[in-house]
Amino acid sequence: MTSLQALQQQMLQAVLTGNAPIPAIVRDDGIADARSRLAIYRHGYRVRLRDALKAEFAGLRSMAGQRFDTMLDKYIGAHPSEHYNIRWYGAGLAAFLGYAHPWRDQPQLADMARLDWAISVAFDAADETSANMAELSAVPPDAWPALRFSLQQNLHVLDCRCNIDAFRRAADHDRPRPRLRRFGQARQILVWRKDTTVHYRRLDEDEWHVLGAAMRGESFAELCAGLAGHHGETVAMQRMAVMLQGWLAAGLVRGWTLG
Amino acid sequence: MATPVTERPDALPYLGYGLGLRVEHYETLLAQPAGIEWLEIVSENYMVHGGLPLVWLDRFRERYPLVMHGVSLSIGSTDPLDDDYLARLAALAERVQPAWVSDHLCWTGVQGVNLHDLMPLPYTEEALDHVAARVQQVQDRLKRRILLENVSSYVSFADSQLSEWEFLAEVAERADCLILLDINNVHVSAMNHGFSALDYLRGIPVPRVQQFHLAGYEQGAQLIIDTHDAPVSNAVWDLYTEAVRRFGRVSTMIERDDDFPPLSELVLELQHARALAEPLLRDAA
Repeated sequence: MTSLQALQQQMLQAVLTGNAPIPAIVRDDGIADARSRLAIYRHGYRVRLRDALKAEFAGLRSMAGQRFDTMLDKYIGAHPSEHYNIRWYGAGLAAFLGYAHPWRDQPQLADMARLDWAISVAFDAADETSANMAELSAVPPDAWPALRFSLQQNLHVLDCRCNIDAFRRAADHDRPRPRLRRFGQARQILVWRKDTTVHYRRLDEDEWHVLGAAMRGESFAELCAGLAGHHGETVAMQRMAVMLQGWLAAGLVRGWTLG
Repeated sequence: MATPVTERPDALPYLGYGLGLRVEHYETLLAQPAGIEWLEIVSENYMVHGGLPLVWLDRFRERYPLVMHGVSLSIGSTDPLDDDYLARLAALAERVQPAWVSDHLCWTGVQGVNLHDLMPLPYTEEALDHVAARVQQVQDRLKRRILLENVSSYVSFADSQLSEWEFLAEVAERADCLILLDINNVHVSAMNHGFSALDYLRGIPVPRVQQFHLAGYEQGAQLIIDTHDAPVSNAVWDLYTEAVRRFGRVSTMIERDDDFPPLSELVLELQHARALAEPLLRDAA
């Protein structure tokens, strides 16, 4: 008699590997042969994983067009699912597109998958509270230079080399896909969730400079000094005020520490 | 069929007629349309850190009795039980306070790979010992008895020494767990393996059955596929009637997972279940 463990291992291989021999453990009968019976599990495995990926990668689907299904099938073939929740199966797709032929020669595909996945992760990330402008206004003026912001933990900043956000937006609003536009140098996209809605937008260069510094825990004085390098001191303070208002309104700021 | 037995050996409530909670019907269900007495959630859909899924969950908790139904416990796998999964399941049960928690008599993966399918077990003494011991571990961890559901299957194993119903009944007895009897799955597996669905019902101990599932299937070229994308078939309604005769008053729900009709169509199907069951239950009272 085959042990339970051996039986499960044989079944696993039979489902994962399309052309694996039919294990003798599977009963043949007059209703259907063992090959037809196993084919239902083989087919079901791939369909479920493909459906799970399609639900998470709307932007990639728009960008890849007819290549999308092949791309997913290759990923499924190369990556058995390891998480009990199929919702997490797409976690490795961006990395796969970064190294697998022929997609690694089109880095926009991996970038696109990374944005889709960041949106997916933010969707059911832990709930966080956010600070508002009235609370920030209560900080005494002499405490501002040493103030350090705490930003939302579900906030992600992604590098992109083309207009991946436009592809995702077109997919989200059921519009035709845009033309691919490559950037001269990498830009950044901010992904975050406010309440229950996930947002994403491209960051201007100066905002990324300041936001990145804030994420590293630099003080308000250091953020201002950095921004002054971009704009000069007077304009920098106005720009900082606009950015801070935007961050607070968007719910990006969890709080701050003083001193 | 035996005389109906409505007394159950534990304090789990009778919930009436319910539906599986699916995103496609969130908005309509929120208005609490007549005829839906309780909802079954898929546990894994809410085993998340935060965000919209839990907001919706809390809304439904305020409006309906809920039960939790998992698909990833993998009670029959020879891999160790997943501590992280059990911790999240326990935390969700704490939040939801469900009437009960269920999963399937199956395995979903091995060697760290998950097939995301309800794979059948060989019905052997070894599997029986293995599953019964794990059910006890899970029940200790969750501090409650769980329900195990019979799955639809497309393969059976040459090594099986017991029938599926003997195996299910024996697991329930040894582990002292309860049974979620999926009437559609009994029919699908009976047709796919050539056994009698009525023999199956007769082999299940009446007091262990806490819940019925009803669903639709797809007729393939040789085998029936359990797709949950169609109305309940006449054959399954007939079997449901026999199940009500045997098991008495059991909380009943319809699972629909694809090709979603308007909610009103599912309410009509539930009404049909009532129309079949209630006269039999009145006669038996």
